[in-house]
Amino acid sequence: MKEIIKITFALTISCVIAASAMGLTYTATAKAKKHNHHMNVQNAMMGLLGFGGDNPAPSDLKFLSVHRYIVEDGDKKFLGYMVPVEKGSEEAYEMVLIDLEGNFAEKLEVPVSAEKAEEAHDRAAALQKVLAPPKIFTYADSSVIATAGGKRLGYVLPGKFPGFRTFIHALVAMDPKFELLGLEVMEHEEDAGLGKEIEQEYFKNQFKGKSFEKLKTLEVIKKPLPMDYKKYLEKSKWEEGMFTEEHIAEIRKQYKDQDIYAITASTISSKAVTEGVKNVAKKFAYRIGKLDSVLKKQEIHAAF
Amino acid sequence: MAIKEKTNTQLLVDGILSENPIFKLALSMCPAVGISTSVMNGILLGTAVLFVQVCSSCTISLVRNYIHPKIRIPTYTLTIATWVTVIDLVLAAYVPVAYKAMGLFVRLIVAFAIITMRLEMFACREPVGKSFWDGMGMGLGFMVGMVTLGVVRELLGSGMILGYDVLGFKPLLFFILPSAGFFVVGLMMGFFNWIEVAYNRRKEV
Repeated sequence: MKEIIKITFALTISCVIAASAMGLTYTATAKAKKHNHHMNVQNAMMGLLGFGGDNPAPSDLKFLSVHRYIVEDGDKKFLGYMVPVEKGSEEAYEMVLIDLEGNFAEKLEVPVSAEKAEEAHDRAAALQKVLAPPKIFTYADSSVIATAGGKRLGYVLPGKFPGFRTFIHALVAMDPKFELLGLEVMEHEEDAGLGKEIEQEYFKNQFKGKSFEKLKTLEVIKKPLPMDYKKYLEKSKWEEGMFTEEHIAEIRKQYKDQDIYAITASTISSKAVTEGVKNVAKKFAYRIGKLDSVLKKQEIHAAF
Repeated sequence: MAIKEKTNTQLLVDGILSENPIFKLALSMCPAVGISTSVMNGILLGTAVLFVQVCSSCTISLVRNYIHPKIRIPTYTLTIATWVTVIDLVLAAYVPVAYKAMGLFVRLIVAFAIITMRLEMFACREPVGKSFWDGMGMGLGFMVGMVTLGVVRELLGSGMILGYDVLGFKPLLFFILPSAGFFVVGLMMGFFNWIEVAYNRRKEV
């Protein structure tokens, strides 16, 4: 009995020491880790918008986030958009509440700095001040609007949709006319060698250039990917002189309205991604339409 | 005991040569086969192992008089796991690119036979200074082994060293594949033994 107590004590002490050592390291590295994640997302967004390499981004390129919240007031429900607005030279934020029919309900100024607005925790604290109980707000998602020279370049939307095992996190980019600019898979746990292929260029680049009309009816087909199309999709493997301008235009035209070719033996993952992208894009197009019309009617000068 | 008579330098050299973890003790073979496809991988994983080995050896050596003999293996595992988590977090935060390539193997260091074995054989009996040098020797020995394998496999498999094109062509793609790891490890082991035998024979003559 004495022995057991001794062992238990020794193990507990060791575990506590080990845990504190790990905790300290975690705290010390958390900032760098967050920075890495941020850079990853930034780079992915740049890539999706077609910048990088020999096509540098314009110097006034800005990524403006619109944070969407679901706001409940008693039994009434609203969609709340936290929008960056132009107010002199400073950036300010306004919470625009829209009811479920898409009509303007209320606008509230959110006292938060640009830096703090990007932090989920600080943002919630600032919102708490203007949306006091009985109003309850729940965070939904943040979409990014890329602008340069006062014009919208495109939208980058976060996509989270169920894959084969668990959620797939992706970024979907669209131009102002809702044509798909591309897809980037950020995190997933699909099977290696099968569903993991969704990361590959030959799959994700198939979404590039799909019009909004086509996107609405986009489907997955179980046919082998044609060789020339595959070579065209794998941009990083292009060799000099492999594709002439005419050749590219021809392939683009031929496959523009083509459905998505499924990954061999991973139809579920292929379908999950396609449906996910479709959903994200369609919902966003609807929402941004409503939001834009409200902003225009209420004469709210959003920064985008 | 023989160990006690060894000086610090001897401990260090022994770990690299006559007790090399990969070529002599044949421990921790899975990473040796799995990740030694390039020199860079060898250096990175070698550094991680060196760090974990030295830190764990020192920790265990420091508390060696307080470890309950019945729970010494759990204590070793806990120590190793802690240091592995530390290096895992640090690598993830400061060298994300390399971490992406070898993240899984870093976590696997917890189960590396070589580290537990050194703690059980050496660190739990010897003072901190000696344990430190033993850990250094073993860690460096592992790193040398990994880098040697990396050089052979990268050169023969992809014609490159550290990502620079040396040969200009790819001699044998086979060496990059996992199964080639066994062949290279086997051949290197034979080579090391052959050198040792030849050296000893010359000494006798």
